[in-house]
Amino acid sequence: MMNWTLYKRGMQGIWKMLVIFCAVLTMYFTIIVSMFDPALGSVLDEFAKAMPDLMAVVGMTPASGELVSFMAAYLYGFLMLVFPMVFSILSANKLIARHVDRGSMTYLVAAPVRRTTVAFTQMKVMGTGLFALVFYASMLGIVTCELSFPGELAVGTFLLLNAGVLCLQLFIGGICFLSSCFFNDSKYAVGVGAGIPALGFIIQMMANAGKELENAKYATFFTLFDSDGIIAGEAGAYAGMAVLFIGAVALFAAAIAVFSKKDLHI
Amino acid sequence: MNDSCLIYTGERSSFLRGECPVNICEIQGLTRDYGKGRGIFDLSFSIQQGEIFGFLGPNGAGKTTTIRHLMGFLKPVKGSCRIKGMDCWKNRADIQKNLGYIPGEMAFFDDMTGAEFLSFMAKYRKMKASGRKQELLDRFELDERVKLKKMSKGMKQKVGIVTAFMHDPDILILDEPTSGLDPLMQSRFIELVLEEKARGKTILMSSHMFEEVERTCHRVAIIRNGRLAATDSVDALKAAQVKKYVITLESEDSASAFAGEGLQVSAVSQNRVTVTVQNDIKELISVMNRYPVTNISAPNQSLEEIFMQYYGGDRS
Repeated sequence: MMNWTLYKRGMQGIWKMLVIFCAVLTMYFTIIVSMFDPALGSVLDEFAKAMPDLMAVVGMTPASGELVSFMAAYLYGFLMLVFPMVFSILSANKLIARHVDRGSMTYLVAAPVRRTTVAFTQMKVMGTGLFALVFYASMLGIVTCELSFPGELAVGTFLLLNAGVLCLQLFIGGICFLSSCFFNDSKYAVGVGAGIPALGFIIQMMANAGKELENAKYATFFTLFDSDGIIAGEAGAYAGMAVLFIGAVALFAAAIAVFSKKDLHI
Repeated sequence: MNDSCLIYTGERSSFLRGECPVNICEIQGLTRDYGKGRGIFDLSFSIQQGEIFGFLGPNGAGKTTTIRHLMGFLKPVKGSCRIKGMDCWKNRADIQKNLGYIPGEMAFFDDMTGAEFLSFMAKYRKMKASGRKQELLDRFELDERVKLKKMSKGMKQKVGIVTAFMHDPDILILDEPTSGLDPLMQSRFIELVLEEKARGKTILMSSHMFEEVERTCHRVAIIRNGRLAATDSVDALKAAQVKKYVITLESEDSASAFAGEGLQVSAVSQNRVTVTVQNDIKELISVMNRYPVTNISAPNQSLEEIFMQYYGGDRS
């Protein structure tokens, strides 16, 4: 089901992007964590009180004085949603649609390698990238918190929060990958692959912003990732994670099926 | 040996009794309509084992579309195509084990060098060693250390040739394989094809130039507007071909006198006379001997011209 030569090639193609994303995450994590003050509440909480509407739009609403809630609000409400999403959009296009668009897919399918193997391998590359990003963020979060505020972070809850984000990002990745497998044209693959998650994210921002728009949250899959619920240990939040994960599996399976059954004009 | 068969020797009405040919590639009623008269319509032909089959047609006639079906890139909407008895769509990965392909358009992973790409392809195909790679690189004098992005069209074509032949496949599908190659490399490629033919390989080669196919192929199919116009031996096509010669004489006077010699003259311009010859080249030579001829040339004929001659000018 997997071609190692192609996998290595795919990883070579995305590692630079991963390094850049990890570097930016490192910067944000260290800055945001340093703003946490267990005794007085944080500088960011002051911001949130001063400009509640603006901060709420990007998901930055303080839940409680705990470090893990603080991180959920200020890192997992925007940064950890958008960054891996951008990675998915770029890598999904790079792994399938661009090869079809430019014609280099010819050499991948004019070989004794099944199309399902090609798509499955490229999916693994993307999955590895997403897993690496979230894994790095988890380790980064634990290390920066332990260095600045030893013992303050509820590590188990934090890891669960990261598992939730991973489920969400795999789901987004599935949308991007399906779009990349479906369209023969790179610009449509990116357009739809980026458009659907971006729209979902904008709807969530709208739902966060105003009371009258709150019901908009039912129109976006981002609602299924409920960071406060995960921290509080609510069953509904876990169910949301499971739905996202199952959805991701279904999206990737559909993508592989679409790719192996479609006509390639290359 | 099984039943004996009549084998077509390539000359008109000339057959020999021998072992029955095995069809390596069979296309039956293959149709794909892209609308507005574009596409391929009800194509049927077969290629025998050890045969070099020319696939001729002007640009846009449907050669590449047919080849995409054979490669399993496109699913037949109507009709079928099989290679070694296997369905080209369902069994595409199995067929590819023993198949080499030169695409009509070269597109690689641009950030790789030629060497990186070739070793990637060898590993990707799960080849145990590098196969015929080195021999082919030497033969085509290809500097494989250059980045694919920086390569000229000819160099890219060579990389494509090496990729198609390095695993020594039994079946080769070559889509306009000599495009972009200079004349020296074109003839090296033709030598390679003839060697492979001698080793019993089955080859489908598409082209829009009759001369290229003439030197290598046993049989040719001519495709036009997506329909098969003819399938015949190269020799039969050549026999039907009317040769055209342009004879340059010393003066306009001698040219007009030359034109009045009773040869088939199709054009006279200044001191140059264009003569068409069906069979009797000797007559032309004897007439030329009596005139102050300074030059003779035979311009390449377009596929369209050959086609028209073959069908006696009937273009419908």
